[in-house]
Amino acid sequence: MVGAVLLAAAITLAPPAESATVFANRTAFAETCTGTANTFPDRLARQARTALAALGWEVGGAVGPAFTRRAMVAGASSAAFYVHSHGGLYWDAKFNSRAGGFRADGGLCLGAPIVLPSEIASIRRGSPAASLVFISSCHNGERASRLPGAFGIAQRKVQGSNEPGSFYVSYVGTAWQGAALRFERAFWQALLEGASAGAAFDRALLSTYNPAHLTPEWWGGYGHLPHAPSAELPDLGGRRYV
Amino acid sequence: MYRFRLMLSLAVAVIAACSSPGAAIAPSRAPLAEGAGLSIRPITTIAAKILSPLELRALVARPFSVVRSESGEQRIRQVLVGVSGVEVLRVESALDGSLRLIASRGVALEGGALSESAAIARALRHLMRLGLEMPGGGPVVQSAAGRTLVNWTREVRGVLVPGDGTRVVLSGSGELVGLSLEVSPLAVPPVRITRADAALRAATALVPGDAVVDEASELAWVLPTNEMGEGSSVRPLRRLAWCVSGALRDGTPFVLQLDAGSLALLGWDGAP
Repeated sequence: MVGAVLLAAAITLAPPAESATVFANRTAFAETCTGTANTFPDRLARQARTALAALGWEVGGAVGPAFTRRAMVAGASSAAFYVHSHGGLYWDAKFNSRAGGFRADGGLCLGAPIVLPSEIASIRRGSPAASLVFISSCHNGERASRLPGAFGIAQRKVQGSNEPGSFYVSYVGTAWQGAALRFERAFWQALLEGASAGAAFDRALLSTYNPAHLTPEWWGGYGHLPHAPSAELPDLGGRRYV
Repeated sequence: MYRFRLMLSLAVAVIAACSSPGAAIAPSRAPLAEGAGLSIRPITTIAAKILSPLELRALVARPFSVVRSESGEQRIRQVLVGVSGVEVLRVESALDGSLRLIASRGVALEGGALSESAAIARALRHLMRLGLEMPGGGPVVQSAAGRTLVNWTREVRGVLVPGDGTRVVLSGSGELVGLSLEVSPLAVPPVRITRADAALRAATALVPGDAVVDEASELAWVLPTNEMGEGSSVRPLRRLAWCVSGALRDGTPFVLQLDAGSLALLGWDGAP
């Protein structure tokens, strides 16, 4: 019943193909939950929002308690999607296995609702593959995570001919926020300088993140340029790299 | 000194932008900034060591620019582009001419996985070929998304500077994807370093009562969390800190960074 209501809400609120959604879980990392102030979620979300807007996307989403399960359901059909939250290989009854996913904020330190790949797949049924998906969380860069598939992105790396027009990024194992902030900043910066998604990923590998704290992974098309379909490519004076 | 360097680099950038026709079709051995008195290694020299003769054909050097790196350092950036305007190679140097970054364009993903020893040997060979200093100590080799990262983390008097050091990124076949050499400025260390057990007690007092703090803590040169870049024009100093790790009630790992002298909280890192 709840699933049907959520699905109906998603269909009703389905965003256009030009839309991007940025969510970040603030509460679970806030001082009331951890004992120390933490600005990482806001900074990570701000980086993503700024970059996606510059790439021509109409950016929606929420940071903090407004990042509810319902808001996520409404935004999951976007063509570009970013989330920073707790992630894990949660049990997904639909797949009868651990399948990845992430938590909403919901204003809770612990036990916030989990969003599963099967739910996202239901919401996105019939939609084309997402252009860019960045799951800034632990574990969703692992093969066992079905999140790429939920967004229509196969878990393979394609470079050259027949590249898919989509790109998925996440992290393997435990991903620390300090390292993620640096890696992601370099990734977005490279995209804004005209790099393809794969080249931006390579560039970010050279940034100053602590490699013991982060193992990034990607799937999709190396040469994909994740701009909004109607957006003009940035004027780089005739320069871009692949 | 800093102001002098800034003015000098701006003058160089203006001269380059006004005078360079952007047409270094073939690799040239002429120092790019010779006229301005800067000893920066020309990108064409580096390209000749990395790219094949076929790849070098018809490349054009763009006028170089003064940029600020992601870590806040002022750098001279040189770029080579192909005929279609596609960037092929990027090189960044510090204002004193030290090489900081080489990034090649989309190096092929094909190739088998490198063994750890083969990756280290390849990385050393690339560094040697480019005439760069061999980093001390044993590197850590890590795989990420079909690339192999060979990392020599910088140490200062036996204390790690995480994120600093030499990193060589290789393709599966050992081709150079890029390399970076990061050297952050360090603050003056405290006159007296607080004992580790005092740092543990301070950390325990900061975190929620149901969190678990590890018994071990270690010293490291860290960047205070709130000074991590974001376009600041001032390059922040790393500070000597006790890093105390632990886990929250739900298992979320964390690290608290406490000033090694005063035990003031410098930063918090967590894993989502």
